[in-house]
Amino acid sequence: MTLLAWGFDGLLLLGLLGLAWKALNSTDLFSAIALFIAFGLLMALVWVRLEAPDIALAEAAIGAGLSGALLLAALARLRGMEGNVTSNTGVEEAPNNIDARLVQWLSAILLLPVLFGLVYGVLSLPGNAVGLSAEINANLAASGVSNPVTAVLLNFRAYDTLLEVFVLLLALIAIWSMGSIQFNRSIETIGKTSLETTSSVLDTLVYLLVPVLMMVAAYLLWVGAHAPGGAFQAGSVLAAACVLLLLAGWPLHRLLTAMRLRLLAVAGPVVFVSMAAYSLIAEGALLQFPPEHAGTLILLLETVAALSIAVTLAALFSGGQGQHE
Amino acid sequence: MQLLFLAVALFLLCTLIAGMWRVLRGPTAADRMLAAQLFGTTAVAILLLLAETYDNPALRDVALVFALLAAVTAVAFVRRAWPEQVDDRSD
Repeated sequence: MTLLAWGFDGLLLLGLLGLAWKALNSTDLFSAIALFIAFGLLMALVWVRLEAPDIALAEAAIGAGLSGALLLAALARLRGMEGNVTSNTGVEEAPNNIDARLVQWLSAILLLPVLFGLVYGVLSLPGNAVGLSAEINANLAASGVSNPVTAVLLNFRAYDTLLEVFVLLLALIAIWSMGSIQFNRSIETIGKTSLETTSSVLDTLVYLLVPVLMMVAAYLLWVGAHAPGGAFQAGSVLAAACVLLLLAGWPLHRLLTAMRLRLLAVAGPVVFVSMAAYSLIAEGALLQFPPEHAGTLILLLETVAALSIAVTLAALFSGGQGQHE
Repeated sequence: MQLLFLAVALFLLCTLIAGMWRVLRGPTAADRMLAAQLFGTTAVAILLLLAETYDNPALRDVALVFALLAAVTAVAFVRRAWPEQVDDRSD
């Protein structure tokens, strides 16, 4: 049993390193993307083996649902730009070999201290760290949920999550500030790919899959209270449903007009901040929930946050799409 | 029984690693993409086996999410990357 587990872990590690190396080393951008998608799969398995199913779930939701689609859309846009702007795609740019070599060696030398720092950091870790799990388990009853990860993320250290929600909003603002503000100008503007914007196979897939995705998102949100799951995972699954609708050319922008989209995107951060302010005044500490209402408050917070995350991620995908100026 | 599950999971991981060859070689983008998609299917199987081996039902949720979302990447590939790829077959 242990021998098999060792073999499994060893093979996983080798595969992961091999994929990472090939993905970085590949000159063809498309195979780099395919390798990166495969890398995400193996990474999820690694998280499972490290007994972190919460992170495996997040990796599955983000890696399988969004980053692949995001990278493919970016590649399509890059190809579109290559036609107009005949320089600076980064890959074939190597004016002469000596320069490239110099840059490689220079970056290798600059990275050496980082490597030493990391090795030193790993070596100087205490042999058996106690961690905080004992304290968390002791206080779990007061948190309102029975999943320790959710208890930490949304109660004990809720300000971390508060800041993370703002990071997403900031990313959206940054992307929007660089280009257009519309959620999705219809699919026809994106490329030569689709003269006819509908295909019955794709529509059937959307009909079947999107309701299931919405249900799974709701399930992940609910199950987060006592098992791996939660707002980020649910939000990413919901965002994947939006991405699917966008890719299939459904007029999502009619449902999510610019105003509604903005309201939804800021709803999570606003609810979070107002709850933080309220708890600061009423309880005397930032984001400290009264134990008897903690479970309800966390569910409310997570629901709004999941909606905001879903809309933000879908808008990030949409913002990266080509728009003809 | 758990030993058997883990052994099968190890075998599936071996097939997954072997499948890397197709992603690397191509020759067309569709070959690479389909190989990556097949990885997804294999990973679902591995996750389900690991869920039984370590008696961890949360892993079934991970498998469920993987299985559902695999289609999104495939659709993104078909809608965004495929037509432009047809004529430039890399070596």
